[in-house]
Amino acid sequence: MKKGWFEENPALFAKIQTETRSVYPHLHFCIRDKVVYVTGSFPVRQDGREIDRYQVEIQLPPNFPSGIPRVRETGMRIPRIADRHMYADGTACLFVEEEWIMANPEGTDWFVFLNGPVRNFFIGQCLVEAGAGWPFGQRSHGSKGILECYAELTCANDLRTAYNYLEMLGKKKLKGHWPCPCGSRMKIRDCHRQVIWSLRQRIPHQVFQNSWKHVQNELHSKRQPVHR
Amino acid sequence: MTPDEILAKVLEEQTLATDSPELVKLRSTREDVETLLCSEYGGSPTIRYGGSKAKNTMIRASYDLDMTCYFGRDDNQAGATLEEMYNDVARVLEKKYSVDRKRSALRLTSKVPETYKIDLHVDVVPGRFIDGNGGDVFLHQSEGDKKLLKTNLDVHIQHIRGSGVTDAIRLLKLWKVLNGVDVKTFVLELLVVDLLSKHKQAPLSAQVELVLEAFRDRVDELSVEDPANPTGNDLSERLDSARPSLSAAADQTLWVIEQHGWATAFGLTNQQTKAERIQILNRAVTSVATPTKPWRSNL
Repeated sequence: MKKGWFEENPALFAKIQTETRSVYPHLHFCIRDKVVYVTGSFPVRQDGREIDRYQVEIQLPPNFPSGIPRVRETGMRIPRIADRHMYADGTACLFVEEEWIMANPEGTDWFVFLNGPVRNFFIGQCLVEAGAGWPFGQRSHGSKGILECYAELTCANDLRTAYNYLEMLGKKKLKGHWPCPCGSRMKIRDCHRQVIWSLRQRIPHQVFQNSWKHVQNELHSKRQPVHR
Repeated sequence: MTPDEILAKVLEEQTLATDSPELVKLRSTREDVETLLCSEYGGSPTIRYGGSKAKNTMIRASYDLDMTCYFGRDDNQAGATLEEMYNDVARVLEKKYSVDRKRSALRLTSKVPETYKIDLHVDVVPGRFIDGNGGDVFLHQSEGDKKLLKTNLDVHIQHIRGSGVTDAIRLLKLWKVLNGVDVKTFVLELLVVDLLSKHKQAPLSAQVELVLEAFRDRVDELSVEDPANPTGNDLSERLDSARPSLSAAADQTLWVIEQHGWATAFGLTNQQTKAERIQILNRAVTSVATPTKPWRSNL
């Protein structure tokens, strides 16, 4: 049986356990079926004060730290609805995966993850619960949110162009003489080569394919046009 | 503050006033559930209240109301077998709530789109009286090999309420929630009562420390017995699965107490007004260096 990441890299596992205990005294590590789970309560802190706390279970994937942990809210306090960015099983939707990978090319640093998107998400939940809006904005649900993300990553002006980029990035092979997805009618090598190559270098091809399939499935199921 | 003063403050923070929004909502849900069950079954089932309120162990971080829905021995209107009865009560509750089927209880969560799946803190427990005395009941068990369980609500309530250690139980329930300890509350309560049976007069901090040390140092030696059914309800399976979690969390908490003190270990917060809270949250927003935007798949 393949070893878990915590067995292959026991030093990393011991380090994050020790450091977590100091910073997040109510989070605990346990291993079930070769998967590491972190359970307990996550504090929302500011100015040394705890404003609130949420019960969580964080699953560290088998390919951690290159894989992204999955966060579940287990206290059943947040409604399991799209507008609160929650799935029915309590999984939190922290971001579009590609954004995180682009910002963290070396893989997931545990504390950057906890202090960044996890904290941001629960600050947002506190504010939304109090009747305010999402403090850092939010992505549209589904394909539209994915395309918004690609529009930002590629500096595309509209979602149709972002769709073209995603379609191209989802292909197994890419040739420099192909027309650039930006719509300039120039060849990729003479146009947005740098942008495309940078994305392909950092983001695993499987991630592009997943997003592309997601967009396709949603388009086919809803038969909705991609809006400009 | 001394450890005992800190723990007294924690308990104060965790106490729900009768007119608190949580209890007002709980009472309203209770009335709705009762109306729903009575509209379906008439006055037939005996509806009574158990849970942490009855046991005097309620805390803000984890409060619940157990509502019995016990039918008479010869009353078959919800079904002839215990399983049929369990499923029929679930069917009735599903008209208004989202129902999570637990081992013997039916956990109610919201079905309203805006608050979908939020915990309503009410468990409905269908059962059938064994005789006409209105005490012992049989419950259906939807998990495990044994499908039938004999129990007695009054015995459970009295065992915990009259234990003399309800403050320690409340603190250890908070500890369970704070640390995500994977143990049934009922099993934890029984463990605390048993471990403190000879230490009822000890200061609260000493009681809590004693329990945590037992979890850390000799969790495999501990055992529990259902006071309402000592020979027929084997809780060992549920305790066995909880042993690693109890031990690991106790070890960490004792370390936190030593390094950071009791206030950190028990999550003592300085309660804020709504306005203060928003102010602090807004400061938290401005302190964020790398904002992230939440998203959700539609598939």
